[in-house]
Amino acid sequence: MEVLDIRVVLAPGISLLCALLVFVLGRHDGWRATFTLGAALIKLVLILTLLPGSLEGVVYVYRAFDFPPGIGIAFRVDGLGMFFALVSSTLWVLTTIYAIGYMRDQHDRVRFFGFFALCVSTTVGIAFAANLLTLLLFYELLTICTYPLVIHDETPAALKAGRKYLAYTLAGGALILLGTVLVQHLAGSLAFGTGGLLAGAAGQPLLPLAFVALVAGFGVKACLMPLHGWLPTAMVAPTPVSALLHAVAVVKAGVFGLLRVIYDVFGVELLAGLGYTSWLAALAAFTILAASFAALAQVNFKRRLAWSTISQLSYIVLGAALLTPFAALAAIVHIANQAFAKITMFFVAGAVERTTGRTELRELTGLGHVMPWTMTAFTIAALSFVGVPLFAGFVTKWYLSLGGLQAGAWWVVLLMLASALLNAAYWLPVVYRAWFQPPRGLEPGVREAPLLLLAPALVSAAYVLLLGVSTRVPGMPFSLAEAAVRFVSGIGAAP
Amino acid sequence: MEHLLPLAAALPLVAAALLPAVAWRRPDAAWGWAVAVGAGLLGIVGLLLRRLLQDGPFSYAVGGWAPPWGIELRFDALSAFSLGIALVGVAVLVFSGRYAQAAVPPQRRAWYYSLLLVNLGGLVGFACAADLFNLFVCMELVSVSSYALVAAGGGRIAALAAFKYLVAGAVSSLLVLFAVGILHALTGSLNMADVALRLADVEARGPVLLALGALTAGFMVKAALFPLHLWLPDAHASAPSPVSAVLSALVVKLGVLGLARVLPLFAGLDWLVLAPLHEGLAWLGAIAIVAGALAALLQEDLKLMLAYSTVSNIGYIVLGLGLATPLAMTGGLVHVFYHALIKATLFLAAGAIIHQAGFRTLRDLRGVGRAMPWTGVALSLGVLAIVGLPPTAGFLGKWYLLLGALEAGRPGFAVALLAGALLIFVYYLRILNAFYFRAPLREQILAVREAPLSMLLPVMALALLCLLGGLFGSGPVALAALAAARLAGGG
Repeated sequence: MEVLDIRVVLAPGISLLCALLVFVLGRHDGWRATFTLGAALIKLVLILTLLPGSLEGVVYVYRAFDFPPGIGIAFRVDGLGMFFALVSSTLWVLTTIYAIGYMRDQHDRVRFFGFFALCVSTTVGIAFAANLLTLLLFYELLTICTYPLVIHDETPAALKAGRKYLAYTLAGGALILLGTVLVQHLAGSLAFGTGGLLAGAAGQPLLPLAFVALVAGFGVKACLMPLHGWLPTAMVAPTPVSALLHAVAVVKAGVFGLLRVIYDVFGVELLAGLGYTSWLAALAAFTILAASFAALAQVNFKRRLAWSTISQLSYIVLGAALLTPFAALAAIVHIANQAFAKITMFFVAGAVERTTGRTELRELTGLGHVMPWTMTAFTIAALSFVGVPLFAGFVTKWYLSLGGLQAGAWWVVLLMLASALLNAAYWLPVVYRAWFQPPRGLEPGVREAPLLLLAPALVSAAYVLLLGVSTRVPGMPFSLAEAAVRFVSGIGAAP
Repeated sequence: MEHLLPLAAALPLVAAALLPAVAWRRPDAAWGWAVAVGAGLLGIVGLLLRRLLQDGPFSYAVGGWAPPWGIELRFDALSAFSLGIALVGVAVLVFSGRYAQAAVPPQRRAWYYSLLLVNLGGLVGFACAADLFNLFVCMELVSVSSYALVAAGGGRIAALAAFKYLVAGAVSSLLVLFAVGILHALTGSLNMADVALRLADVEARGPVLLALGALTAGFMVKAALFPLHLWLPDAHASAPSPVSAVLSALVVKLGVLGLARVLPLFAGLDWLVLAPLHEGLAWLGAIAIVAGALAALLQEDLKLMLAYSTVSNIGYIVLGLGLATPLAMTGGLVHVFYHALIKATLFLAAGAIIHQAGFRTLRDLRGVGRAMPWTGVALSLGVLAIVGLPPTAGFLGKWYLLLGALEAGRPGFAVALLAGALLIFVYYLRILNAFYFRAPLREQILAVREAPLSMLLPVMALALLCLLGGLFGSGPVALAALAAARLAGGG
């Protein structure tokens, strides 16, 4: 059932308005904070009002501009888009609070918060895109809007990272444009919601090219190996930006695009017949393992987080590539699970850096004694990554294994075990040293992180627990993911 | 109403002739006079366009003599480019007010406006000409005034660039005149529709091929299609900035529109296959896209960068004409219009920045975006549009060209086009990086003031059109599709 609803454009519009207000009137700290926080809250409420309908399979639509003629910039909120929008707008509230605390006394705060709001606006645009071209439009805008954030420090290293980031993502964008044109050429339409735009194009010689172009294009932001190189370099950005890049906007835009390509552009039935996805699944499995090994070798907190992100994102890609209902459920729900756990980690990394000046992992030794709340948040996120039951990460691993068995791919279960072990190997020693070894070399008087940095970390850590235990509670993200799977045509219901 | 069509071309020309008299006692009146004429032209073109959309293409027989004997003016979908001419014209004339005070010596200022008006009148006449001779005459009006305008600012480099431009332009004009002569000798007619009909009966194949070759080569030089572009960068970069805007946005389009006008003359010949010519044009277009972008990448001078970008963008348009499928030609033709708006935005914004700051290389201009926020925003919008980022106006041309390449069964050209677009992105990002994210090298940059309102307003208006032109682009696309259908249908 499709319902015309203006809220669909208001949601990205609020952040756009916020960005404009910040750019024009944002010199005053108080006003700027009011605009950003106000917009974040209004937007979250707006999206929450759409939630009950989405849970029942209602699809909200709105058509904005006839660009290009016949295709149009159009918005459409289905379960999948709703899920992504809900995750990013929830996290935007947390990240905004955190950023206000973190960016105190930094230069160019107007530019920072303006582009910050633009990023979230475009992210919701991606989530609500009704066709591939609208998705591409916001995807490209997201690239442009994150660039000033990545190079915020304007050091040579930051500028270099920015160049690398743009080179990767713009090339990816060009590939998606190629894929989009191919889809338009082959299918004559770009609109989502048919359960497979290309269903009628089986056997066309350009079909493999379209698949490779779209998967490689979105794979850049999804950090699918070997397209992941920009992410570790982009760690030079301020920590709230890293959180935004890693947990909320950029990388999730990549995996979300991949989900759209698999479920809406090609469709499960066509892909099952073509067999391209077994290659994609193999690539994702390789990325999960290889990135974990790379993470083991890192000694810097943020760099280890970056490699861990690369590994975690491929869970989502793997889930989508398996083409079974349980795997799809795991893929969708992991968008939230990874986001909340990862953003907790980044909040902790930033809080530790701002409070103690420490950025290396071995320097975390004994910090549990001085910053107990911060390190509690860290521990919860770490346990979630390892996949301990009752934490969010376990839900993903469980359903991904089930999905693998559904698809007859028993190796997925082994892969989940191996990945859990690797995650344990690179997070648990840090947890041990933080709590069970005495602090060393700390200046006297170092205490818990300031509240503006600590509160967001604790809230998101609580969310990680909530996601892990609330899979049977109606209205929680898990039920929305179930609804998304149920209403994506062609996948079938997840029992 | 009936006489609006000849008025569109005549108004700027007559006003240009009267301008020295108007400015005789009061030199300051020249600007107001020129702006008023530009506004009048815009109004007339608007009325013509409304009639085109309501009733379809219409003709005007000059002096009441029916074609093919009399002179025919015709306003069709291709002539709708007049809107671009008028829009850019008004913006440039308004912008010139403050700019010319600094850049053009006082004794030449009246001539400067006069030449600009001649240029605009010639362009409109060219877009509406239905016979070959008027096509040539209007082209010459535009060309000769352009040579002079390049040198208007004075300076050695400008004079040299103008001379280079003159030599290349004269050769191409001669080629076109030569071809027009041949066609007249073969058919006894100059009216294009009539020539197309009569060419079918012509038995002498050699002269027909010669005419086709001369026309193509002549218009290729006018369009600065790679490798015949060598005159362009210096001329466009050393001219006063408003003139650069006119040259890059409008004058090079003469060559493309000329090709689009004359190629259909030969489409009706059953012994002549145009496919190899189209193939050649497509290849040259694709090479121009990449070569122009690469050359732009190596420039430090802001205006030279923009000039090379024009070479690259002409490549897009010619690629569209060469692929010769309806979608590809739609893309090429819609880009004729939108590139005019975008490039005018860029040159005027760059002109405002160079005028205010006094520097013109990227290194020297570092950090200027913060000193001139509004001009900076306009320039950024222009940059995003020329790169072809959706939803700006620049995206539409690329979108239809890509679809057209697939329609023609040539995905290779689609890939080349995307590669070119990526390169373009890189060199425009250098501009934004320098203006916003690099620490200034020159202390003076910090003290630079925002451009005066009479410069800022046209720049902002054009920049807004770059954005809105994309969002509300169905009208231009529909017109371009109409023109493309007519081209593909022949005659």
